[in-house]
Amino acid sequence: MKILYLYPDFMNLYGDNGNVRILEKRLKDQGFVVEIVEKTITDEKIDFEGVDFVYMGSGFESNRDLAAAHLKKFAEGLKKAIDDGVPMLFTGNSYDILGKSITTADGRVTEGLGIFGFAFKEQREKRYTGDVILEDTASGERYVGFVNRAGVPSDDTDLVCNVIKVIGTVPMKKDMARRNNLLGISLLGPVLLKNPKIAELFVETICKRQGAEYKACSYPHSERSHAKTLKALTETEA
Amino acid sequence: MKRVRVFTAILICKIVRSLAKLLGRGSSIPGKYALKVCPDILSYLQLPELSIAVSGSNGKTSSVEMIAHILKSNGLKVAYNKEGSNQIEGVVTFLIGASTMSGKVKSDVVLLEADERYSRHIFKYFHPKYFMVNNLYRDQMTRNGHPEWIRDIISEAIYDDMTLILNADDPLVASYGKDREGTIYYGADILDSDTITHEGIYDDGKYCPVCKKPMHYQYYHFNHIGKYKCTSCGFERHKTEHALTKTGVKEGNAFITIDDSYDIPVFFTGIYHAYNILAAFTASVALGIEPEKVTESLAGYVLKSGRISDFTLGKTEGRLLLSKHENSVSYDRSIDVVVNDPRKKSVMFIVDAISRKYYTSDSSWLWDINFEKLNEAELDNVILVGQYCDDLAVRFELAGIDQSKVKVFETVQEAADYCKDNADSFLYVITCFSDKEKILSIVTRRELA
Repeated sequence: MKILYLYPDFMNLYGDNGNVRILEKRLKDQGFVVEIVEKTITDEKIDFEGVDFVYMGSGFESNRDLAAAHLKKFAEGLKKAIDDGVPMLFTGNSYDILGKSITTADGRVTEGLGIFGFAFKEQREKRYTGDVILEDTASGERYVGFVNRAGVPSDDTDLVCNVIKVIGTVPMKKDMARRNNLLGISLLGPVLLKNPKIAELFVETICKRQGAEYKACSYPHSERSHAKTLKALTETEA
Repeated sequence: MKRVRVFTAILICKIVRSLAKLLGRGSSIPGKYALKVCPDILSYLQLPELSIAVSGSNGKTSSVEMIAHILKSNGLKVAYNKEGSNQIEGVVTFLIGASTMSGKVKSDVVLLEADERYSRHIFKYFHPKYFMVNNLYRDQMTRNGHPEWIRDIISEAIYDDMTLILNADDPLVASYGKDREGTIYYGADILDSDTITHEGIYDDGKYCPVCKKPMHYQYYHFNHIGKYKCTSCGFERHKTEHALTKTGVKEGNAFITIDDSYDIPVFFTGIYHAYNILAAFTASVALGIEPEKVTESLAGYVLKSGRISDFTLGKTEGRLLLSKHENSVSYDRSIDVVVNDPRKKSVMFIVDAISRKYYTSDSSWLWDINFEKLNEAELDNVILVGQYCDDLAVRFELAGIDQSKVKVFETVQEAADYCKDNADSFLYVITCFSDKEKILSIVTRRELA
């Protein structure tokens, strides 16, 4: 079982490392032996062959733009892995890279990987931060977490969740990009802790792709954290 | 017309301030009214020749308090925002409060605690002679975004006519001084507690803030604070004007030494505290006070930070180490204290309300704290408490903390009941301003510093 952790020391703002650790634990609970392969900005090659899960977290905007340029060199392998249905999670502003382009506050344009149709445009007047509740338009499932961004997407046709509550300054109406088993989500930090359903979804998909039977495990602290946060966010005035 | 507006703004501000004082309220409301009448009122105030602003993530208030103390005890009249109201309304309130009706500030020095985000708005109207930045850490993401965002926001407040005073050991801060002559640097020389390798969950010094290529550290004081050099563009720790050269204990009394010659007695030698003293020392010398006089003033100064409180809980003895939620560096320093204490001990973490000032349920910062370090200590119990006890529980499980020692409680009362009357195990409580009363209202306390 191989987890590819992209840019762990370059794109790891506020506890993003938690996602890999939580997933690793859950995969071990399924009986897998888990290897975590870390690839970063100074590596000359990123290989997606034989990878079972890919994770990338958020970072300083300047880091993200450099990571985008770096990852672009390996776009072919990444796109093939997406087409093959490899589960992937891009959190925070790392999923900006998957769109057409990113324009930072100083007007610089960085080309994205073009997997999705959106482009991100950023500013420096105000940081977009806040607690949000997302609702999956298809399943009705609710996700909770925190957004910390400088920009919004130009176009939300590829986004599958409605932003149903914001406590803070996040001017987003939709979020979560999905292609096959890839999820891009603006929430940052340990998304899989407060959203055990997403963790479960990934573990199930990984098991299925491995031909292994998925064992239902219980994670009461994670369940309670989700329930308490959802309740608090629902009750708190925006 | 303009003069009338300025006069009216000053008058209103002074009247509202007097009324607020009568009611026993210190607030920034007077400044708010003044700004309504005259939005650029700050550009009409006449500042004394000496002025200094202090900004950064941690230690602003402590440094400002110390600088004020040093200046005052050396006979200078100081105007400063002691209520910590560091946003534009607060700054207007305290400056007008210290000025004549014509807007002349009646003090020898203006000393300003400057909010990281609001400095760019405040310094549009006036420029302090000195601008000191202490550090830029991951802190209050809800307000601040991230350290590089704040670095860029503060850079909009820096003008050519200011002299910068910078912490040389923090690369992000020191990057302000690049190609800027006359910048004053302070920092710590190599200390006994330094490490050769980086300690912590994340390393914000791994890549150069100037060119983003890998940096090499000769040593670390803590987190990304240390002696660094970029392997590519050559950006490196600048030599310092004033340096912390030693921290230690002599005949039972803790002290720090600055520039190998100035010994300052301290209540505790925590490096955090030492940096704040060094910052205050550097600022005071820049403002013209002799180093010997600065040392003398600091010797008699007891920092009323409230950062440490000793208490008893029945037969249990304990100590509260105040940290800042949403600020992993401050937690890491508190964890160091626990790990370095050889006594038999337990530790309690309370995360109940993340902030006093705004609502957030974000607990991602828990994953930036080096709780793994607790594995180096012999602990009796690890007690996780509050609204976010479940988030803590997952974090502690993945930190490899012996699960048989971990106890999880929703409320501080339940946790306190559990810890009561245990004379065998010293109890450390680590939490934030926003949650401290929840434990202090239960225990019997003794304020130390």
